[in-house]
Amino acid sequence: MSDQMDSRFHGNDGSSPSSIPANGQVPATFYFNGRPIEALPQDTVASALYRSGRRIFSRSFKYHRPRGLLCVSGRCPNCLMNVDGTPNVRACMQPVRDGMRVTHQNASPSLENDFMAIAEKFSWAMPVGFYYKTFTHPWMWRLAEPFIRRAAGLGKIDNDPNAVTDHPYEHVFLHTNTTVIGGGPHGIQAALEAAVAGEEVVLIDDQPELGGHLRYASSTDDTPETTSSTESPFRGKPHVGLADLLKSVHETPNITVLSNATCFGLYEGKLVAAMHRSAESPAAQRLTQLRTENIVIATGAHEIPLLFENNDLPGVMLSSGALRLIGLHGVKPGERAVVVGTTQAADSVCGALEATGIEIVATVSLEQVVKAVGKKHVSALQTNEQRFACDLIVMCGDWMPDAGLVGQAGGTVAWDEERAVFVASDLPEGVSAVGAVTGEDLPPAIGISQSASANPKKVFVCPCEDVSLHDLKTAIDEGFDHIETLKRYTTTTMGPCQGKMCQQAAIGICADQTGQTIQETGRTTSRPPTSPVPLGVLAGPHLHPVKRTPMHAKHDEIGCVWMDMGEWKRPLYYGTPDSKRESVEQEYWAVRQRVGLIDLSTLGKLDVVGKDAGKLLDKVYTNRFSDLRVGRARYGVICDEAGIILDDGTVSRVAEDRYFITTTTGNIEFVQEWLEWWLAGTGMCVHITNVTGGMAAVNVAGPKARDTLAKLTERDLGNKRFGYMRCRQAEVAGVPSLMLRIGFVGETGWEIHFPAEYGEHVWGAIMEAGEEFDIRPFGVETQRVLRLEKKHVIVSVDTDATSNPIESDLAWVAKLDKDDFIGKAAISRAKDRAPREKLVGFIMDENVLPPDGCVIIADGQPAGRITSVRYSPVNERIIGLAWVSAGLAVAGQSITMRVDGRPVTAQIVDEPFYDPAQARLRQ
Amino acid sequence: MSFLIPCPNCGKRSAYEFRFGGEVKTRPEAGSSNEAWLGYSYAAANRDHSQKEWWFHTYGCRQWLFAVRDTVTNEVTETSLPEEAP
Repeated sequence: MSDQMDSRFHGNDGSSPSSIPANGQVPATFYFNGRPIEALPQDTVASALYRSGRRIFSRSFKYHRPRGLLCVSGRCPNCLMNVDGTPNVRACMQPVRDGMRVTHQNASPSLENDFMAIAEKFSWAMPVGFYYKTFTHPWMWRLAEPFIRRAAGLGKIDNDPNAVTDHPYEHVFLHTNTTVIGGGPHGIQAALEAAVAGEEVVLIDDQPELGGHLRYASSTDDTPETTSSTESPFRGKPHVGLADLLKSVHETPNITVLSNATCFGLYEGKLVAAMHRSAESPAAQRLTQLRTENIVIATGAHEIPLLFENNDLPGVMLSSGALRLIGLHGVKPGERAVVVGTTQAADSVCGALEATGIEIVATVSLEQVVKAVGKKHVSALQTNEQRFACDLIVMCGDWMPDAGLVGQAGGTVAWDEERAVFVASDLPEGVSAVGAVTGEDLPPAIGISQSASANPKKVFVCPCEDVSLHDLKTAIDEGFDHIETLKRYTTTTMGPCQGKMCQQAAIGICADQTGQTIQETGRTTSRPPTSPVPLGVLAGPHLHPVKRTPMHAKHDEIGCVWMDMGEWKRPLYYGTPDSKRESVEQEYWAVRQRVGLIDLSTLGKLDVVGKDAGKLLDKVYTNRFSDLRVGRARYGVICDEAGIILDDGTVSRVAEDRYFITTTTGNIEFVQEWLEWWLAGTGMCVHITNVTGGMAAVNVAGPKARDTLAKLTERDLGNKRFGYMRCRQAEVAGVPSLMLRIGFVGETGWEIHFPAEYGEHVWGAIMEAGEEFDIRPFGVETQRVLRLEKKHVIVSVDTDATSNPIESDLAWVAKLDKDDFIGKAAISRAKDRAPREKLVGFIMDENVLPPDGCVIIADGQPAGRITSVRYSPVNERIIGLAWVSAGLAVAGQSITMRVDGRPVTAQIVDEPFYDPAQARLRQ
Repeated sequence: MSFLIPCPNCGKRSAYEFRFGGEVKTRPEAGSSNEAWLGYSYAAANRDHSQKEWWFHTYGCRQWLFAVRDTVTNEVTETSLPEEAP
C-alpha cells in the first residue's frame, strides 16, 4: 500500500536505521520573521530556531506570557507558529524545507517585546469565568469584542481564497485486518505479531520515524539482553534493539507504516481517522479513513508538567523534551540545569544531560521548589532553602497514558489506584491496548504533590488557555466542583493540546479541593478529534464535478454566458456578460416570430419498459398513463403522500410496453429512486433505465420550426399526422430520434431526443437548416421569459416543499377518480378544504422589476411572495408568478409590494399572458 | 455515523453510500380513513433496537433494500432485497 502513497507524505517508514534523520537530507535555510535560519538535516523548525538561540517561541493565550519549548513532541501549545501561511503549525513537528517562511503568532511587535503582555498587569480584572462575570449585557460584549479578538487567541487564517483552494488536501480510504496506533516498541511488537499471524497490518505513528521513546533515549548499555521491549527506558536502561525492530518491520511485507500520521479519532464500524502531515508543506495534509477489523491502541504515555510558580517560563522544559532535543536534533537545551523530580526519575535523565556537557547544578524534589526565577527566561530556581542559578529547569513529570482513543473505541479509562494513573480497561471485542497506555512500565506517579510555591496565580496548569492553579481553586469555590463543569467554566483541557498537558492535574486539583478520590472525581470525556485537525483536511480536495452537454463546444463557439444548473453547465443566453438585455430580447423575438433552438440535454430522461409500466406510472404520477395511446405524450406531476409536488415532466408512450419520461434537470436521480422504490418488492414487470447521459435533446420552436425541421426529416410534420402532444420516432439529420410535439415556450415546436454522440451534428444541421429563417439559439433566461408568458410552472422555482397541485393551479393533473396513486388521499383533502394560498399570475401596473422572492403586502401584513418575475416583451409589461393568500387570488385583484423602498402595485391575472387560446401552439 | 451496511449485491459498504428511506411501513389501502393516511405519512414508530428500514444504495448497485438495524448501536444485522424478502 505504501508504494502508492504520494512521496510528499512519506515519513521514514522504518526502512532506515534511526540514526539517519527522516527529514530533508541536506542542510536548508528558512526564514523566521524574515531572518534566515540555518537548519541541519535532522532539524525541525523548532530545533533549528532553538539552536540559533531563540528561546521564546510564542506568547500565551490570555496574559501574553513568554513561552518556550516544553514537550518538543507536538503535544503542548508552546511552539505554534505560522508556516508558509498556514497558522498554528507545531514548529517542533514541522520538518524544514529550503526557503520556508515562518512567522510568530499572537504577539506584537515581536515575541521578545509584546505590548499585549500588559494584559498580565490586569489579570485581576480577568478572573476565571470573566466573560460570564463581566459581559452581563449585550452592549458590553459589543464594546469589548474587538479588543478581546485582537488580544486573545491563536494564529490568523489566510483569507485569500486562492491560497485556500490551492492547499493540496486529499482523502485516502484504506482497508486492513489490524490497525496498530502508536509506533513505539509495543506498537511495533504488536504489528509484527499480527503480521506473523498472516494479517494485513497498518501501523500509524505520529512521529517522522517509528520507535517512540527509543528514538531519543540514548543507549548507555549495549548488552543484547536489554532488547526486550518490556524493558523500560524510564528506569534508566535505554533500549538498544530499535534497529532490529525497524529491520523486522521493514522486512515484513504485510505491514504498512503511516508515519507523520496522527490518529485523531475512532468511529463506529471500526473506522480509524488519521491525519497525515506532509514533510514538504504544512498545507499538504491527507486524511486517511481506515476500516479495520482489529484495533491495537499502543499510544503510550507522555510526560506532564510539574506545578510550581512560573512553571511556564521559557527554559522550564519537560525531561522528555530536553532528551528529544538532544537525542533527535543534536541540540543542547542549556548549559546549567536544575532537575526537578524524584531521585529515581532525575537519575534517569541526569546521565543523558551530563553526557552532552550540561552541568547539573542540583537535583531537587518538587516539594522544595518555590519558583522559577527570570523575566523572559529562566535565570534561577528558588527552593525553600536556596537559589540555584541556571538556564534550564528540567521537570521530571508524571507520565500520563495517552488514553484519549480508548473511550472512543468503546472501552473505559479507569483509575489504577496502585499506579496512580488512568489506564485503558474494559475494551470491546476487537480492540486491545498494549504498553504504557495500560499503565505498564510507567514509573511511580507523584500525583498532585504541592510545591512550596506561595503564589498559585502563577502556577500554570493549562498552558493553552492560561488557567492557573488559583483559577481552578476559585472556580471550585464558586461551585464548579464537578470535573465536567470545571472544564467548561475554566476552559482547562479545551485548548489546542486537548488536555494532554493539564487533564491529569485538573482532575487531581479537583479531587484535592473537593475531598473526593480521583476515582470519584472521574475524567472528562475525550471525544474526537483528540488533536487539532484543520477543517480543510476534513473537507478534502476541492472537487466539483461538472457535466457538459454534448453541444457544449457549439455554445462556446457561438459565445454564451454560462450558468450552473446542479452539476450541469447551461447557456444562460448567447452574448457577452453586459449584453443580457439585448441578447435575451433578440432570442425571444426569434422564437416568437421565426425559430429558435435550445439545448435541453440536461433534462432527466428515463426509459421505462415492461408490461406493467403503465400500472407503475399510474401509481406514481397523479394523472393516468395506462390509457395513453402509443404515439402520444402527456404532462405529468409526481407528488409524495402528503400531496407535495416533487417533480414534473412529460411522459410519452413510444410502444405498448415502453414509456419515455423526462424529469426536471436536477431531479433525475431522485425520480429514478422514487420510481424504483414504488416498484421494489411489488413483483411488477418494469425495468427503469436512466438514459440522461446517453441522450442529447433540443427544442426547435417558433412559427418556422416546422419549415426548418421539414428539411431534415422524412416524417410528415403536418398537424394532421403530427399534432400537438404527439410523439414519433423519426430520423432527424440522419440520426434516429424521438420527436415530441410539446410546447413549453408556447410556440409550435418539437423536442428532439437523440443519441448524445450526434449532439454537435444535429445541432449544426438544425442551425444550417434554419439559416434561411434567421434561426437563433436561445438560452435558459429566454426560455424562462417565454414559459412565464405561458404561466408554465417550474417545479422548485415556483413551487416549494409545501406546494400541492390544487394550490399550484395544477388541479387538473390530479385524477382523483383513479383508484389510487401516491398522494391521492392528501390531495383529496386539499381539494375539500379551503386553500390557504394560491399560485397566481400578476402583471405590474408600472414597469418596475421587483426582485424574485419579493414579499407581497396586504393591510400592512405579508400576504405572499413572488416566485418568478420578468419583463414580457410581447406585453411590454412586467409579469410574474406569485403565491398569495387565497383571499387575494382573484382576477383583477390589486396587490402591493415594496420595491426600492416604495409601494408598487400589480393586478392578478387568471389567463396566461400570451396566447391563452393556445392557437399558436397548435398551429 | 460511520457504520457499515452489508448490501446483498455489493457487500459491506459505508452507510454514506446509501440513502435512508425510513422505517418500513405498510401503506394503507386506497380509501382508508384520514387518520390512517396521516399516521402513515407523518407518524414513525421510532423503535429502539431492531428496526426494519428501507435503504437505497445510491453509490453502488442503485437498488432499494431492506436492512434490519439496531437503532441504538447502528449495527445492521440483516439485509435483503425486497424481491427476496420473506
